[in-house]
Amino acid sequence: MTPADLHLQVDVAHWGWSIAWFLWFVGIAGMGSVAYYFVRRSALIITIFASLTIGLLLVVSHLGRWWNLPRTLYLMVLDFDFNLGSWMLLGIATLSVHLVLTLLLLIGHLPALTRRIAWLKWTETLRAQAGYRGLFAGVGAFATVYSGFLLTQAAGIPLWNTSLIPILWVVSGSIAAIAVIELLYVLGLVDANVSAAGVRIGMVLDGVKLLAVLGFLHVALSYGSAGARYGAILMTQGDLALMLWGGVIGIGILVPLAIGAYTLLREKRKSLLAVSAVCALSGVFFLRAAVLLAGTFEPLVL
Amino acid sequence: MARPNEAKNGTPSRRLAHLWDESRCIACGACVLACTMTNQPEMMAREEKGWGGLASNIRRIESANEQGRPTLLLVQCQHCDDAPCVRTCPFGAVYQDDDGLIRLDARRCAGCSYCVTSCPYNVRWFHPDTHVPAKCMGDGCLDLIAHDQQPACVQACPAMARDFGDLNDPESSVSETLRTQRSRRLLESAGTEPKYFIVEGS
Ligand code: SF4
Ligand code: SF4
Repeated sequence: MTPADLHLQVDVAHWGWSIAWFLWFVGIAGMGSVAYYFVRRSALIITIFASLTIGLLLVVSHLGRWWNLPRTLYLMVLDFDFNLGSWMLLGIATLSVHLVLTLLLLIGHLPALTRRIAWLKWTETLRAQAGYRGLFAGVGAFATVYSGFLLTQAAGIPLWNTSLIPILWVVSGSIAAIAVIELLYVLGLVDANVSAAGVRIGMVLDGVKLLAVLGFLHVALSYGSAGARYGAILMTQGDLALMLWGGVIGIGILVPLAIGAYTLLREKRKSLLAVSAVCALSGVFFLRAAVLLAGTFEPLVL
Repeated sequence: MARPNEAKNGTPSRRLAHLWDESRCIACGACVLACTMTNQPEMMAREEKGWGGLASNIRRIESANEQGRPTLLLVQCQHCDDAPCVRTCPFGAVYQDDDGLIRLDARRCAGCSYCVTSCPYNVRWFHPDTHVPAKCMGDGCLDLIAHDQQPACVQACPAMARDFGDLNDPESSVSETLRTQRSRRLLESAGTEPKYFIVEGS
C-alpha cells in the first residue's frame, strides 16, 4: 500500500539531474586525484581540472539564489561565523582547495605557459613532489567522501542516512578514475602497463561495488524506515528499476566485468576497453542518479 | 551583521510552541488559507508543485484509518530545539531566535535546498519567485507575534483547535493544555526535540 504522505525530494527540494552530474564529476575528479599520485600524466590532470570545473559550475547553477552567493560568503567572513557542522560548507572549502591544487598542477603540465610566464616555472616541480601529490590525493579522496556525507546528513531523506553511501561513492569514484585511465590508454596518452594494472583493480572494485549496491538496497528494504523502504522499492521495482538493473548493474558492472575477464584470459583489444570504460563511467553516473532520485521523505502518515 | 532577534549564546529566552488539537479540528482548512493570506498573499491563486495544492506553511495530509474513516494531519515547522536544518545550512542562514523559533535570514541564503532535504517533517517549500525555502513562521506571522498577537492560524481557527505560547511559562495556555491533556509529537525518534504538539483530547 502506498502511504498517504509520500513525497520525492526531487519534487520538493529539486536535487535532480544537475546534482547527479555534480556528484559524478566530483567522483571522477576526487578519485582521479588519487590515481594521479601514481599516473602523473598531463591528460589526467586536464580531465580532473575539467571535471572539477564543470561540477562546480553545475552546482552553482543549481542554486535557487546563486546571485546571492557572494553576499552569503561575504557575511560569513565578515562575521567570522562558519557553520562547521555543515557538510556542505566543508565541501565548499574542500572543493575550493582541490581546485587550487589542481590548477597549480595543471599549470606545471603546460610548458608553453611556464615558458612565457617565468614566475610560474616552480609549478613544474610539483608533480615530482610526493608530498604535494599525497596532499592532492588526500584532498581528492576527501572531496569524494564529502559528496557522500552530503547525502547522509540530509536528515529528511532516510534512504540516504547510511554510511554505505560514502563507501559506495569512493568505490565507484575509483572505478570512474580507472575508466578514465583506460580511455586515456585507448587514446594513446597512458602506457600499456598502467592500463593492465587498471583492468585487474577495476574488476576487483566492480565486485566490491556490486556487493555494496546490493548491501545498500538490502539494508534499506529490510531494516529501513518506511521512507527508506519506499526509496529502495522505487529503485528495485519502481520507476528507477531500469536505471538500477540495466544502468548501474548491467551496463555499469556486468559489462566491464565481462570485458575485463575477456581481456585477462584472451586478448587485450582497445575497442573493447573503450566500451568497458564508457560503460563503467555510465554506471557510476546511473548509481548517483538512482540514489538521488529515489530520495523520499519519511511519510508522517502511512 | 546579526541575524534578526538571534538567541544569545544559543539559549533562547522563550520557547514558543504551536499546539494543534486534532480532537477539536473540523478540517475546514481556515488555518491553511489564513497562513497563505498572511505570509504569502501572492501565492493565493498558485499551486505549490512539490506537495500539490495551495502553497502554505501548513501541510495538509488526508488519509483514512483502518476502519476507512477519513483522517487529517496538519503539519508545519516544528521549531525543533535540535533542528537538523540549522546544523546543515552551509551559510548559517537558518538559526534559532530568542523566542525559540527557527528562522531564516534571507540575506544569507543561496537557495541550495539543504535545509529542505534536512527536514524530517517535509515542511519547507521553495517560493517560486524568491527561491527562499519558506516555512512557518512567515514574515506576516512574525509581525503579528511581535505585536503581541497570535499567529494567523490560531486567530482563524473557528473550532479553537489551535494555540501558540511559551513553554517556559508555566502559566501559558499551551503549558496548561499540555499539563492537563494527552498530546504527542511527530517523529520523536528523530531526536529533533520538536515544539509542535498534537493534542489528542483529555
Ligand atoms: S521542522 Fe524542519 S524546518 Fe522546522 S525546525 Fe525542524 S527541521 Fe527545521
Ligand atoms: S536553501 Fe538557504 S537556508 Fe536552506 S540550507 Fe541552503 S542556504 Fe541555508
